[in-house]
Amino acid sequence: MTSAATWEPLTGMDPVMTIAQDLFTTMIDGEPGHLSPWLGDTPVLEDPRYAWVDVDGPVVTRVMLMAGRATGENLTRALLAMDADEPVSDADFADAVGEIANVVGGNVKSLVTNPGALSLPVVGRDEPDNSSAMRIMATYFGWKGAPLGVSLWALT
Amino acid sequence: MKALVIDDSRVMRKIVGGILVDAGFEVVEAADGQEALDQMTLNDDITLCCIDWNMPVMSGFEFVVEVRKHVQWRDVTLMMITTEGEQGQIVRALAAGAHEYVIKPFTPEVILDKLQFLGLVEMKETV
Amino acid sequence: MTLTDDAFDFVATLVRQRSAIQLERGKEYLVESRLAPLARTAGATDVDSYVRALRNDVTKHDLVVEALTTNETSWFRDANPFAVLHTTVVPELVGRGRRDFRIWSAACSSGQEPYSIAMTFSEHFPALRPQIIATDLSELMLDRGRAGEYTQLEINRGLPAPMLVKYFERTGATFQITPSIRNQVHFRHHNLLEPAPLGGPFDIVFLRNVLIYFDVETKRDVLRRVRMSMAPDGYLFLGAAETTIGVDETWERIQVGNTSIYRPREGKTR
Repeated sequence: MTSAATWEPLTGMDPVMTIAQDLFTTMIDGEPGHLSPWLGDTPVLEDPRYAWVDVDGPVVTRVMLMAGRATGENLTRALLAMDADEPVSDADFADAVGEIANVVGGNVKSLVTNPGALSLPVVGRDEPDNSSAMRIMATYFGWKGAPLGVSLWALT
Repeated sequence: MKALVIDDSRVMRKIVGGILVDAGFEVVEAADGQEALDQMTLNDDITLCCIDWNMPVMSGFEFVVEVRKHVQWRDVTLMMITTEGEQGQIVRALAAGAHEYVIKPFTPEVILDKLQFLGLVEMKETV
Repeated sequence: MTLTDDAFDFVATLVRQRSAIQLERGKEYLVESRLAPLARTAGATDVDSYVRALRNDVTKHDLVVEALTTNETSWFRDANPFAVLHTTVVPELVGRGRRDFRIWSAACSSGQEPYSIAMTFSEHFPALRPQIIATDLSELMLDRGRAGEYTQLEINRGLPAPMLVKYFERTGATFQITPSIRNQVHFRHHNLLEPAPLGGPFDIVFLRNVLIYFDVETKRDVLRRVRMSMAPDGYLFLGAAETTIGVDETWERIQVGNTSIYRPREGKTR
């Protein structure tokens, strides 16, 4: 089975959209309707941050979340039920955004054939080294007006 | 009633802990399976563990396996709360001795429904 | 919230005429959120303008009624009634010689309730294979029930994990109920304002969380029709906050722990 065949269910946006919407509905917004597909050109993220998990297997697959710092802070506030202007520590930011990557990645993992172990999340200012990786898909969402991206990479 | 919430994510510990406190539990926390075992030894009145799977040092699965070796913890309810959602993983966890399994993401009702079915809480119906 | 008062009233009237379900003030958010997907599909700017356009388009009325008459469901809802089913009700009826159980799950929505009943029997009385009639007003829901396929979010609600692994199979993003359970449930379209469905006399009826939507007179009518469809020694289960007390005195209430169950009072089955 080639890596392409393993990931076929995910090359469309819909499964990832459903996963993201379920997460936002249940745990971030508490109700549906706040996360939708990003309409228009690929957005530019302001002060981008990256969070990813790797799914082990014959080919390691990376599930990566991309968001601007401010959006990441708002996600953290939503998850921790903080006030709109409460400052977000680096530790809380990494924890919250990492957990979002964990949940999205874990659900993506459940959709593919013969997945391996899920790594612990990594959160950083810089994109991980994807130079030897093949991008399987990328999709962007709008959350309360701000862009958020999810991308899948096959690491060789 | 005392519950032990085990997750390497502080965010998750806070969310799960909050749900359990609302349901009437006193909550203690651990960030990995080893810390969790320490908490089990320190607190002899834990009746429920909510356990993440993927954690550093010792995973939630390994924690379940370890707990089930000890007769003094025989009556503790073990509930996995994890992103691991494949059928095979659920089967493994239950076979290792977990009693319940929640796939992330979840709402508070998901956990409360399961606690009610297990007889750990009594719910008032809201219409 | 875009829904204006008179748009809400229009929808409430429509729904009441077609189904006798009462949408009172306070349910505006429910209407807004249930109609939002329809409004989006129709390309309306918001729910209020979608509803306004509806007044002149009778063909859309069915959709609206369907969207508003589906319930939130979980598996083994409230847990206790299903415990009472296997600890008390079924053993008692078996004691009276019952072997072929006929069960009616009314307002079954997407099937969680009738399948929960089937799983309860399978867990505790595997030799009995009940015949379960599951009815609902919504064809959409009946189709979902017949398919027996559920999302991860749906499967998380109230389904004990040991039953998940025993009775479901995950395929991709959804979980499918096993044929042996699925085959015990027959889904049929039925309106509670009409005579009871075929398949009776029923030994057990689940009529949970649907009477709440009706006015008192309609509640009485529904309960009367249900009673007439039941075996005289059969049992009725209502929702946890519901009762026949004060509505219909022809039922005997029996308390089992925290759960009330109802039986037609002797000599008053007609």
